[in-house]
Amino acid sequence: MKESPEQVIDRSAKLVVSFFVASAGLWLLAAALLAYIVAAKLTDPFFLSGIEYLTYGKVKIAQANAFVYGWGGNSIFAATLWIIARLSQAEVRGRIFLLFAGTLWNLGITAGLLGILDGKMNAHELLEMPTEVWPVLFIGYSIIAFLALVIHRSREHSSTIAPQWFILSSLLWFPALFLIAWNGLELNPARGTLQTVLSMWFGQSLIWLWLTPMALGAAYYVIPAIMGIVIDKYYLAIFGFWCIAALAPWSVLNHLVGGPVPMWIPAVGTVMSIAMIFPIAVASTNFHATAFKDVGKVWNSLPLRFVIFGTLSYTLSSYIGVIFSLPAVAKLTQFSIINEFHFNQRVYGFFSMIIFGVVYHMLPKITGREIGTGSKTFHFWTSAAGVMMLLLAYLIGGLTHGVLAQQPSLDWASSVISSVQPYFLITKIAFVILGFSQLVFVINVWKVIFPNPLAYILDGSPERKEKSA
Amino acid sequence: MTDKKKRTDSSMTDQELVEAHASLNREKHPPTVGFLYAPLIFVFVFGCLIFVCSIQLAHTTNNFQLHPPREVVELSPEEKEALRIERKVESGKKVFAARCASCHQDNGQGIPGQFPPLDGSKWVTSDPGLISNIIIMGLKGEIEVKGVTYGTNPAQNMVAVPINNREIANVVTYVRQAWSNEATEVLEEEVSAFRAESSEQSEQWTGEQLREMYPSAFSTE
Repeated sequence: MKESPEQVIDRSAKLVVSFFVASAGLWLLAAALLAYIVAAKLTDPFFLSGIEYLTYGKVKIAQANAFVYGWGGNSIFAATLWIIARLSQAEVRGRIFLLFAGTLWNLGITAGLLGILDGKMNAHELLEMPTEVWPVLFIGYSIIAFLALVIHRSREHSSTIAPQWFILSSLLWFPALFLIAWNGLELNPARGTLQTVLSMWFGQSLIWLWLTPMALGAAYYVIPAIMGIVIDKYYLAIFGFWCIAALAPWSVLNHLVGGPVPMWIPAVGTVMSIAMIFPIAVASTNFHATAFKDVGKVWNSLPLRFVIFGTLSYTLSSYIGVIFSLPAVAKLTQFSIINEFHFNQRVYGFFSMIIFGVVYHMLPKITGREIGTGSKTFHFWTSAAGVMMLLLAYLIGGLTHGVLAQQPSLDWASSVISSVQPYFLITKIAFVILGFSQLVFVINVWKVIFPNPLAYILDGSPERKEKSA
Repeated sequence: MTDKKKRTDSSMTDQELVEAHASLNREKHPPTVGFLYAPLIFVFVFGCLIFVCSIQLAHTTNNFQLHPPREVVELSPEEKEALRIERKVESGKKVFAARCASCHQDNGQGIPGQFPPLDGSKWVTSDPGLISNIIIMGLKGEIEVKGVTYGTNPAQNMVAVPINNREIANVVTYVRQAWSNEATEVLEEEVSAFRAESSEQSEQWTGEQLREMYPSAFSTE
């Protein structure tokens, strides 16, 4: 039987994408474990308190880095390579270099996390991994990005469409952000206030310009691909894209409100955050107007359900983010656990959910093996419940925390902490749920990538049927 | 496009997906009702947003200045008065240090037998006209201060001090309130009145003249 062009592409991508998805899964589990430790330490200060390597400050940072660079990075590589190859109708080339670069990336992160747990941290948000590992990560990333661009260059159709803009710009924005921050913080350290601004700007822009466009691009691809209809009001997409490119790196500056910086920096950040309503409105119109044309299909297709959950979460939580960037509100909540809400809504509720959908859409095509519907559905519902529980706890807890912390008459330990503590307990439970959910995801993924004897024991019938067929 | 939408096989191949969206990039949409509806809402909402953002930008950026605006402190009338006196005394102290302290000394004790003390002297703390006039025209001849006679040697005569009324008011106020002295403030207008009154005096005052002009100052001495 002659292979269709898509099957040829999938076969060329199989090894590399499997490698990245499998490693992303492992990092996800590591991050889930660390997240549980962090949450448990907040409810019980004596939890693992005897171990020097697992103090709160180290584990918290290690968790964020494992999540963003380990899970985020690897899954971005997998989704980028596959979607770009599919849209370009070109095979994945330079596979041995991709595997080499991926190994560099993963070894770099492993060394970086061990460095963090050993206390060799940098003091900059999401640049905390020790200085020595960054060149390794950068080389690994550059190789992967270069080869993805090579695939894109050999595309069949000369004009490009929305998923390509978002995914390729996310691919290029990360090294740009990194080089600017690295130059200003390490190579030619900026003096005084500028360093603070740069450090904060990198940490926040990374989420806005690396994870966000990647997930948006994936949604722009998966939604029409599964639904079989073009994106509704597609002409708005280009506007949304340039709005994100122009506004997002400015909008993050609102986090400095009240800080020791010239007043115009957070003021511009606040204004740009409000203006971020443009791209948020455009993306959500595109996604949801398309999805509403056939709600039944969205509900029945699990990858699509994940993606639409992610885009809904993006819309809702981005609007909430706009409200929290207003100076009057920011004054109350700036130094509360609401910051956890912002981070988690972006990386869990939005980015991860869309990536789950992409992986579930992509893996069966690549490996030719189906993932069990039951375990996929279990993963969806536990993820959805866990994420919503987590975000609600951080949102309400953050508001409580912020408002109470504004009243100097209250006793800190007995009033403020004790009223926030129940929310920490909820987040701990949510992290347990999410941990199980992610364990199921990783088992699902590993089963189709490595159909080893374990797979026969856990889910025997489909495999045997496939074998006998 | 329409034929693709009707396909029974629901999902799109990537080839179709790229072509369909790429053709949407090129195509000019016919201005149908459904097409105009959404952009109009977007234009309206985004117009409002740009307006709100501009207002916010104008109000909160502090004109892109590096430093935050100075805090404006509103003083009560009493605080303003206290601040004025403080500044006046401060300026008078400088005049005193430059013009007077060489003879009368920083501590206002003068030099026994040569220059009379100012600290605790009736010549200073009684009528402000007395000390003001001495500064305006100078003083010669013998005088008695705190029971001690000064000015027996003509070399110890005081010459007129060439400073303006404002400086005289400042230094007199300082001297009248420095050390153990606790007398009232002297205003610039009062000094100019003293200067006008003594316009026919062509040389330094003598102690006798002043004693006649300000008998009340010497009544108890």
